[in-house]
Amino acid sequence: MNSRERILAHLEGRPVDTLPAMPITMMFAGDRAGIKYGDYATDYRRLVEAQCRVAEEFDFDYVSVISDPGCEAADCGAAVRFYPDQPPAIDEANALLADKTRLARLAAPDPLGGGRMHNRVRGVELLKQRVGGDKLVEGWIEGPAAEGADLRGINALMVDFYDDPAFVRDLFEFVVEMEGRFARAQVEAGADVIGIGDAAASLVGPGFYEEYVWPYEKRLVDQVHTLGAAVRLHICGDTRRILQGMGQLGCEIVDLDFLAPVAEGRAAMGPQQVLLGNIDPVRVLRNGTPDSVYAAIEECHRQAGPRYIVGAGCEVPRDTPPENVRALVRYAREHAA
Amino acid sequence: MTVFDELQQAIINGQAALAKELTKKGLDSGKKPRDFFPNAIIPAMDEVGRRMRECEFFIPEVLIAARASRAATDLLRPLLVGDEAVQAAGVVVCGTVKGDLHDIGKNIVAMMLESAGFRIVDLGVDVAPEKIVQAVKDENANVVALSALLTTTMVNMKGSIEALKAAGLRDKVKILVGGAPVTDAWANSIGADGYGKDAPAAVELARRLAATA
Repeated sequence: MNSRERILAHLEGRPVDTLPAMPITMMFAGDRAGIKYGDYATDYRRLVEAQCRVAEEFDFDYVSVISDPGCEAADCGAAVRFYPDQPPAIDEANALLADKTRLARLAAPDPLGGGRMHNRVRGVELLKQRVGGDKLVEGWIEGPAAEGADLRGINALMVDFYDDPAFVRDLFEFVVEMEGRFARAQVEAGADVIGIGDAAASLVGPGFYEEYVWPYEKRLVDQVHTLGAAVRLHICGDTRRILQGMGQLGCEIVDLDFLAPVAEGRAAMGPQQVLLGNIDPVRVLRNGTPDSVYAAIEECHRQAGPRYIVGAGCEVPRDTPPENVRALVRYAREHAA
Repeated sequence: MTVFDELQQAIINGQAALAKELTKKGLDSGKKPRDFFPNAIIPAMDEVGRRMRECEFFIPEVLIAARASRAATDLLRPLLVGDEAVQAAGVVVCGTVKGDLHDIGKNIVAMMLESAGFRIVDLGVDVAPEKIVQAVKDENANVVALSALLTTTMVNMKGSIEALKAAGLRDKVKILVGGAPVTDAWANSIGADGYGKDAPAAVELARRLAATA
């Protein structure tokens, strides 16, 4: 059973030889491959080189094009600051939709139009060519709350929920349309699974989540399913109050960040949902030891039960000791579901 | 209900226009500007902090409450100039450290500190250590609050503390740090005075530290 087969079998509930390991690596991957993160995020060939390198070195079961949340916003025309060796960041002081009326005139970028989104699509294509027979290839898009925050500015969006809910709906409508096309381009390029990152969703309470965010997340998830790919939902932060909704989206994989205990995720989402996570990336994975990492993953597995994939709550921090990452994968290899 | 009770409620509910109106009403009825803080604004934001901790309030609720608080304080601050009996709880220089553009956490801490009676000098995001040093000198600050969301940028907290040491200002200020990757252990290792795990914790910590600064 190779890595790709292992994940796909696990998602379908068929027996697997070992648990899959799918930790998110970005800066960690760039560093291991000696690639500056600015290059990693903007040149798909560098990203692919680094992803293949860490997947082989650490025996991860997948490779991913996730790099930073600024691809779509950049192609929309948002101000994005680039750094030599850290992730590009959106300049909120000059948010694209600081003036809300601009939304009506904003055209969704073509994911194959030569911009940052196209760079990501090419990354998927090259990963598929390089390791697609063996490793699962993951594409990545932003969810409505995260991308809405990138375009509008997160501080402004949070207040819009109260001041101008109609605008929030219009904005999410735009985002879902754009991200659906982006997902299609990545699936056509060979992505087996599409990750949907919706970090800002954890900042609103269950009321706004259910009323405004969830319906648009659901549409996006359904669109990806129509394309024939699986969905991995990743919401950073404290998701304890929205776990139930997250479990009702129908995603094949739901990531839990470290602030939401796996047991709570399991209780809210039922026994069949595949959960991924969720050791504390800094306190446990980076600052711990191989033994403490192994023990922490064991505890996550115990709380999750068999429908479980090994990973951290969020990205593996760049200066994590490699032996700690090996301990995480070793747990997976030593345990069947 | 007194006008202070009504104002407190308006702030908790995030009703900025009403908060402004009630502040005017209170002033018109002869309330002293300085009395609005202990009787309405500070208890309102303490309650907002409590609700945030209890997961009754989330970021949108906190932001609109802070906006309502500001609607009141914007009217009151000019009236406090020259009032000898009024002393800010402290002067806080705050910012997101160099290389980091994330600001929502820092903004919330700043707004809650302001409502708790601190004077805030918000240096924004991507703040260089020398800018912090200059602001501490210029504003005669006694607290420095540093934020970082990334493991890659939190190291710049250390640089900021080193810069304050080099400028001979380290003993003059208390330094608190916060942000997703920050821990107590990290705060100790870089020589900060404390770590706030969330905005209410940062306010408590600032109160405690400012009292001894």
